[in-house]
Amino acid sequence: MSKQQNSMKQHMGMKAASRISNTVVYIILVAMSVIWLIPFVCIVIQSFRINPTGMTRYLLVNPEAALKPGLEIRFGFDNYIRLWNSDFPRWYLNTFIIALVVAVVQTVIVLCMSYTLSRFRFKLRKPMMQFMLILGMFPGMLSMIILYQVLKDLGLALENAVPGLILVYVASSGMGYYVSKGFFDTIPKSLDEAARIDGATRAQVLFKIILPLAKPIVIYTILTAFMGPWGDFVFARYISNGRIAAYNVAVGLQSWLATDTMTGQNYTMFCAGGVIVAVPVVILFMCLQRYYVEGVTGGAVKG
Amino acid sequence: MASVKLTNVKKVYDNNVVAVHDFNLDIKDKEFVVFVGPSGCGKSTTLRMVAGLEEISDGTVEIDGEVVNDLQPKDRNIAMVFQNYALYPHMTVYDNIAFSLRLKKVPEDVIYAKVTNAAEILGITEYLMRKPRALSGGQRQRVAIGRAMVRDSKVFLMDEPLSNLDAKLRNQMRAEIILLRQRLDTTFIYVTHDQTEAMTLGDRIVIMKDGYIMQVGTPTEVFEMPHNLFVAEFIGAPKMNVVRTNLIKEGGKYFVTPCGAKIEVTGEKANLLADKGIDSREILLGARPEHIVLADENDPGAMVCTLEVNEMMGSELHLHVYTEDGTRWIVRIPTIDLSTEQRKALVAGAKLYITFEGKAMHFFDPETEKNLIYGE
Repeated sequence: MSKQQNSMKQHMGMKAASRISNTVVYIILVAMSVIWLIPFVCIVIQSFRINPTGMTRYLLVNPEAALKPGLEIRFGFDNYIRLWNSDFPRWYLNTFIIALVVAVVQTVIVLCMSYTLSRFRFKLRKPMMQFMLILGMFPGMLSMIILYQVLKDLGLALENAVPGLILVYVASSGMGYYVSKGFFDTIPKSLDEAARIDGATRAQVLFKIILPLAKPIVIYTILTAFMGPWGDFVFARYISNGRIAAYNVAVGLQSWLATDTMTGQNYTMFCAGGVIVAVPVVILFMCLQRYYVEGVTGGAVKG
Repeated sequence: MASVKLTNVKKVYDNNVVAVHDFNLDIKDKEFVVFVGPSGCGKSTTLRMVAGLEEISDGTVEIDGEVVNDLQPKDRNIAMVFQNYALYPHMTVYDNIAFSLRLKKVPEDVIYAKVTNAAEILGITEYLMRKPRALSGGQRQRVAIGRAMVRDSKVFLMDEPLSNLDAKLRNQMRAEIILLRQRLDTTFIYVTHDQTEAMTLGDRIVIMKDGYIMQVGTPTEVFEMPHNLFVAEFIGAPKMNVVRTNLIKEGGKYFVTPCGAKIEVTGEKANLLADKGIDSREILLGARPEHIVLADENDPGAMVCTLEVNEMMGSELHLHVYTEDGTRWIVRIPTIDLSTEQRKALVAGAKLYITFEGKAMHFFDPETEKNLIYGE
């Protein structure tokens, strides 16, 4: 065998080996995604089940139905119609208002904060950043009891939980400056200086130069600001404290499963609620996914 | 077009580092002034104080007679070109140049006329619709200059604009800046660490070190009449040779005695020394590499030395030699004066005799490092 053939054979061998290892990796990845997706698929299927309406040990076919007629699984849109006629639209609206307002206000605060910490040098800048870092290490729930008292005294709890919750979510938003400050730090300062000499005010620098360059991080900030209140349960539950009209979706849906009897009646409707809750988030992510990934990794790589 | 006046300007940073001490300078209308010095000498800081990008700790900066200490950069009517170009990456070249005009709400047709005119002058018309990242370094710097040009500002500030370019392009852009200056006919302040740029561009050069002005003068003045050792060594390439030796006054004549040689000070320098009434003393003797020549063995001014490195620069040779006492010298010899045999003999380890002309020496005080003739 010539030298050339020998090296050719070696090359083929390496090619085969890499193909096998790729196949193994892909099989593992597919298995992982199946495991990951099964709960979602189950919820979607169950959201269309109208008989029975409770939790079951089966998904598509009831094994007992062969013996006892009338236990067959039936599918339809009843759960969604029941949802529409329940308190759910109210809760959905509450959550949407909270998440939207928080997304806007928090984004503005976070971006201003990040720009300030990235570009201005003032006394106590470093101590302030360290203080916020340490403060951020405490779980927010520590403040829950006192927050409830304060909000109740202000008339922003119970029935008025919606504005109260907006206040709670927005209040601490300045502390979430890390990621965007890191991103702003990678934008050369001389761009600011050039723009200021060109006649821009600080605000114009931020809006015309920095933000267009930081688009991924702006999107990332909006998304995280929206997602926080959208999925929150603990604060919403505590501050609305049993006032059904002031629930958000998480609290409202959970209230349907408060007892075993209720679970038996409401479980499939609960699943339908879950699907509806996921819809805007899925749409948001599908549209903005590209920026989201760039935003999370962009700052680190660019530096 | 405007004059710029800096009076007792001082910059102290938050960590109490003093970057600029008591800077005084009067820049006339339409003058091209270059701040030059090694890194950390405060030249950029001074420029940025004029621009309004650094706070002025003490003293005043006046543009056209108006104190601008507390004015924002945008209200000072200046234009600035940065070392790293500082082009807005998300805008096209056109938008970059038009940015300042749009902020001023200039009508679009006027903007169009100005931008295309500037682009034509700078030869970047065909790139107007490109983003900066699709341009080369030289083109980017042209865009940056264009952005400054359209503003019709009173003062044109340039902070090491050529430092990021390669050597060839730098030479070309240097020539273009000279042309630009003739065309714009406005006041320029230019910062560089490159003495060649300073010498070729400036009407006046401000040489700085550690936050202090070492000398202000025309290129000829700072080259021929350096006030102190720092200026003498900084201006001119390769740098001036300096050796500690004695100045001897003998029967109305002055001699220097470097490395065992005895060389008479001649010409204007001798008269100036006499005028100043300078007596025999220890000095630091300075001689520029181009003023050193190969000498005959029998010449009383000849110093015997050994060749260490011979750098062929094309039209000239840079010879690095050391004399018997260990002093190192750099000698510039035009290649045209040497025969082929002579050039062949110039190899490492060769023995040479060098001397220099008596009229081209500089004398510095070893303590204060001030020029005995021109130092203030």
